[in-house]
Amino acid sequence: MTIKRREFLAGTAATGLLGAFAAPSLAQSTKSGTVRVWGEPGPYGGVAVAAMNEWAQKNAPGLKFEIETIPWDGVYVKLMTDLAARRPPALISVESPLAMQLMAEELLVPLDDVADKVGRDRLVPGLKWDFWGAWKGKQYVIPAHHQPHLLLVRTDITRELGLTDPDTWTWIDLANVARTISQKKPEVAGICMALGRNLCTDYHFAALLHQAGGRMFAQENKFEVTFDSAETAEALEFVRELHQFMPKGAVEYSFLQVVDAHVTGRTAMSFYWGRTLGRAAEEAKPVFEATEAFNHARHPKTGRRSNWNDFQGWIIPAQNNPYIDEVKQALTYQQTSKEWLVKYCHSLMPNVAPVYKDVADSAELKNHPFYSSKSKTVDTYFKASLEHSSSTANEMLKGVNPLAGFVHGRSVLAQTVQKVVIDKMAPRDAAKWGARELDTIRKENMRLIG
Amino acid sequence: MMSWDFLWRHTGRAVIFVTLCGLTFVVCFPLVWALSTSLKPKTEIFATPPTLIPKAPTFENYAALVTGRQQYFQSGGQQVDTGATPAQFFTRWFLNSLVVTLGSTLISIVVSTLAAYSLTRFRYWGRTFVPYFSLLGYMVPSIIFVFPLFLMMVRLELTDTLLSLVLGYVSITLPFCMWLMWAFMRSIPIEIEEAALVDGATRMQVFRDVVLPTALPGIIAAAIFAMIVSWNDYLFGRVFLNSLDNLTLTVGVMLFFEGTHVDWGLLMAACVLMTVPMAFLFMGLQRHLVAGFGAGAVKG
Amino acid sequence: MARRLRGFTLSDQAVGVLFMVPFVLTALFFMVYPIVEAVRMAFFSYNPLRPDLSAFVGLSNFSYIFDDQLFWTSFWQATVWTSFSIVFQTLFGVAIALLLHQALPGIAIFRGLLLFPYIVPTVVIALIWRWIFNPEIGIVNYALLAGGVISERIYWLSTPEMAMASTIMLNVWKYTPFVVICVLARLQSVPLELYDAAKVDGAGVVRRFIDVTLPQLREVLIVVVVFRTIWTFNKFEEIYLLTKGGPGTSTFNLAVYAFEQSIANLKLGVGAATGVIMMIMLSIGSVIYLRSAGFAREETHG
Repeated sequence: MTIKRREFLAGTAATGLLGAFAAPSLAQSTKSGTVRVWGEPGPYGGVAVAAMNEWAQKNAPGLKFEIETIPWDGVYVKLMTDLAARRPPALISVESPLAMQLMAEELLVPLDDVADKVGRDRLVPGLKWDFWGAWKGKQYVIPAHHQPHLLLVRTDITRELGLTDPDTWTWIDLANVARTISQKKPEVAGICMALGRNLCTDYHFAALLHQAGGRMFAQENKFEVTFDSAETAEALEFVRELHQFMPKGAVEYSFLQVVDAHVTGRTAMSFYWGRTLGRAAEEAKPVFEATEAFNHARHPKTGRRSNWNDFQGWIIPAQNNPYIDEVKQALTYQQTSKEWLVKYCHSLMPNVAPVYKDVADSAELKNHPFYSSKSKTVDTYFKASLEHSSSTANEMLKGVNPLAGFVHGRSVLAQTVQKVVIDKMAPRDAAKWGARELDTIRKENMRLIG
Repeated sequence: MMSWDFLWRHTGRAVIFVTLCGLTFVVCFPLVWALSTSLKPKTEIFATPPTLIPKAPTFENYAALVTGRQQYFQSGGQQVDTGATPAQFFTRWFLNSLVVTLGSTLISIVVSTLAAYSLTRFRYWGRTFVPYFSLLGYMVPSIIFVFPLFLMMVRLELTDTLLSLVLGYVSITLPFCMWLMWAFMRSIPIEIEEAALVDGATRMQVFRDVVLPTALPGIIAAAIFAMIVSWNDYLFGRVFLNSLDNLTLTVGVMLFFEGTHVDWGLLMAACVLMTVPMAFLFMGLQRHLVAGFGAGAVKG
Repeated sequence: MARRLRGFTLSDQAVGVLFMVPFVLTALFFMVYPIVEAVRMAFFSYNPLRPDLSAFVGLSNFSYIFDDQLFWTSFWQATVWTSFSIVFQTLFGVAIALLLHQALPGIAIFRGLLLFPYIVPTVVIALIWRWIFNPEIGIVNYALLAGGVISERIYWLSTPEMAMASTIMLNVWKYTPFVVICVLARLQSVPLELYDAAKVDGAGVVRRFIDVTLPQLREVLIVVVVFRTIWTFNKFEEIYLLTKGGPGTSTFNLAVYAFEQSIANLKLGVGAATGVIMMIMLSIGSVIYLRSAGFAREETHG
C-alpha cells in the first residue's frame, strides 16, 4: 500500500497548518554542499532528511542533506570526536540526556524561533517542550518523536501457562512469571533486558530505579546525589533476581541483542522500544502476532510504572556550523508537514511516536496495518505510556538534568548494575560505588549547574 | 628397537603432514566460514544444520556492496526510503582506504629511503642515534600518538580529510620503514658505488642507478608492511574522520554492525572484500618475507 | 633530478644533509611533536569539547590515575592478557615454524595459509570472531554441541573469564604468524653442519632440538618476546573491537583505559598521563631489548 501524496497535501491544506509557511520566508539560499545530519540507526532519520531535501530543492538547490546513522552505543564517542574536531554535523537527532548536556555547555543554537513557527500548542497532552530540552528560559531542542521502552510480553506463552494479565502485574508478579516461564519452558528465557556496559542498560535500569522511587540526582537541591539509597539497592536487587531468568549472554547485551533475543523467540518477555515489533513483523510473524506491549510492572510500594522515554529531539550545533539558517528552515518545513511527519512515524512503527496532536489524531497516521493488528500496543507506546514517562535527563519529570549525558557517557548506571550481576557485589555497596561516580561527575561539572 | 631417525623418516613425516593439515584447517576456518557466509542467501545463513559450502550460492551481498544499490526498509508492508545506508558507501570507503594507504606509504618510503642512504654512507653527528630513535618510535603504541595528532589536525583544520590520515599514518609507518631501510642499506656493499663514483658518476646518478635497484627488495618489503599497517588501522580513522563520505573501510564497516539489525551476509562480504587487497600484497610479500624480517622485524 | 643537479657540483656532504632533511622534518612533526605534546598534555586538564577551559594541573592527572581502581584493574588485566598471549604465541610459533621447516610436498602452500592471519585487518577478525563465536547462532558452539564436546552453549564473550580467553585467542590467532616468520627466518640460517655433528654423536630428534636448535633460536626468541610483549601490552584495537573492554571492565587494558578516559570521560589529560605511564614502561622494555640483542647483534652483523 502506498500513501498518496495528493491526498496528503489536501489534508494538510485543510488544517491550514501549512498555510503560513507555504511561501519561503527568506530568499533562496545560494549556499552549496552536503549538509550532514545525524540520526539514530533506523529509517526515520532518512525520512526526515528526505523532507529536508524537498525543502532544499525549492529553496536551496545547491544543498543536499545527507543522513549519517550513528549506532546508539557509538553516539557518545562520535559526538565528542566530531565536536572536538570542529566538524559537527549541521543538525542532530539525539536523545534528551545528550541534548541537555550540550545545551548546558552552550554548544547549541537556541531554537525559540523554530518552536514558535512549529507551534507551541501542538504537543500531545501530557508532553511538555522542556522534556526535550529547555535551559534558562530558552528552547534548544525541537521534538522529533518520543519513544518509551515498555514491557514486551509473548502473550501466547503467558496464556498457555495460564498467567494473569500483564497490566495487573507488580514487580513480584513479574519475577514470578519470569520464574514460571523459565521452569516450564526451559528453552525460553523468562525475561530479557540489556546488562552490558552500554547505553541500553543505562536506560533499562533507569526505569527500574524510577519505579522504585529512586533518583540519581535531586534537581531541586542543586543536583545533590541521591543515588546511594534504599531505592537504588532495591532496584539492583530486582535486577539480580530477574537476571536468573535471563538469557545467559545478557551481561553483554545491548540494543541489538535484546531485540534479537525476542525476535528469535529466545525470550518470553523483554524490555524494549517498539523496534522489536517492527523487526518481528518482518522476520518472525508468529512472534509478532503473539507479542504485546504493556506499561512496566508496578512497583509494589510506590505503585509507579515508570518507563524510560528517549524524548528524541533535533538540535543544531552552534560552532563551526555554516548552515544554521538553512537547517532551521528545513527543520521547520519538516516539522510543519503532516505528510512528512506521518511518513516519519510510519517508517518504524510503533517505535517512533508522534508528538504533535494534529499528527497523532490524524486519519493518515492510522492508515497503517499495525493500527488494526496491534491497536492496543500501538496506543500504549504512543499515548498510554506517557503518564509514566521518565528519563534520566528529567528524572520523574521533576526538572531538566544536564548531568545525565555525562552519566551515560561513562555508563555509570550500567557499570553499577554490572557490579551486582558480574562482580557479585552487594546492591548497597554497588549503589555506594555508583553514587561516588555520580558525585565526581557533579563536582566536575558544577560550572553547568551553578 | 627402531631408531628415532627411522621413525622420523617414515611415520614422522606423515604425522607432520597430517598435523599441518589440521592446523591449517583450524587457522583458516574463520576466514573460510566468513567467505561461506558471504555467499549464502539470507535464508541459508541461519539454516540448521549449517552448510559450509552454500547450497544456493549467490553474489547478491557482493553486488549490493559494489553497486551501492539503494536498500529499502520494510515497515508494515510499506517500502521506506531510508536515505543512504552504510553499504552504499562501500566503494567510496574502499577508494578512501586506497588513497590513504598509498599516500602514507609513499611518504614513508621516500623519506626513509633517502634518510637511510644518507645515514649509511655519510659521517656526521647523530647518525647512529637516528635508527635507534626510530626503533623506539616504532614501539610507541598508536594510542599515544592519536590524540596529540588529532589536536594538531584540529588546529590545522585538517580533521575529516584524507590528508589528516595520510599524515597520521606516517607517524606509525615511518619509524619502522626507517629502521628497516637503514638495516637494509647497511647490508648493501659500498664497493660498487665507489667504483661508479671513481668512473665519474655523480652521487645522484649513483643513488638512482646503483643504490635504488639494489635496495629494491628492502623498499618493497618496507612498503608492503607500511601498506598493511595503514590499511588495517582503525583507531586513527575513528578519531580523525567524521563524515560518511570521508571514512575509511575499517571505520565504515563497523557501522554495519551496531543498531538493531545485522545483515551477517553483507557484513561478511565486506570483510572478505577488505581482506582481498591484503591477500594480494601478502602473495607479493612472501618472496620478500625473509629479506624484510631478516633486516629487522616488523610492526605488529 | 640528477641532470638538473649536475650543473652545480653537489658535494657529498650536501647530498648527505639534503637526504636527511625530509626525515628530520617528518620525524619532528609526526614523531617527536606528538610525544612531546602527549607528555605536556599529561600535566593539563583538557576537555575536548571545551578547549577554552584547559589549564595546568600539575600532577593531579597522575594522582587521579593512581587513585582509580580501574587503572590498576586494567594494568593487571593487561598483564594477564599479555602473559597468556605471549606464552601461547611463542609455543605455537616455534612449533609451527619447526613443522614448516620440513621439506614436505606443498610446504609453501601451508606456509602461506598459516601466515595469512597476520595481515588480516583487526576489524575483520573482530567481526568474524563475533560471528563464529556468537553463543546462539555461531558455528563454533553449533559444532561443539553437535560433536558432543560440550553439552551447554559456551558464552564466549559474556563472562569475564571467557571474554579474556576469547581476546587472548584472537590475539594468538593473529600474531602467532609473526613468531613463525621470525623463527623460520632464523631456522633457515642454522648451519646444517651442526645437525650433522650432533647426528654423528648419536643425538635423537629431541636431543638435537634441545642441544642444537634451541640455542640457535635463543637470540631471536628474546627479540620476539620483548617486542611482542611491548606491543601486546599496549594493544588497543584487538580488545576494543571485540569486547569494548567488557563485560563490565573485565578486558580493559591500559590502551582502552586511556581511550575511554580521553573520549567517554572527556579527560584528554588523564588519557595522556596514562600514555606517559605506558611510554615509561615500554622504555624499560626497550632498554632490556637493546641490552640483550640490539647492540650485540650490531657487532656481529656489522
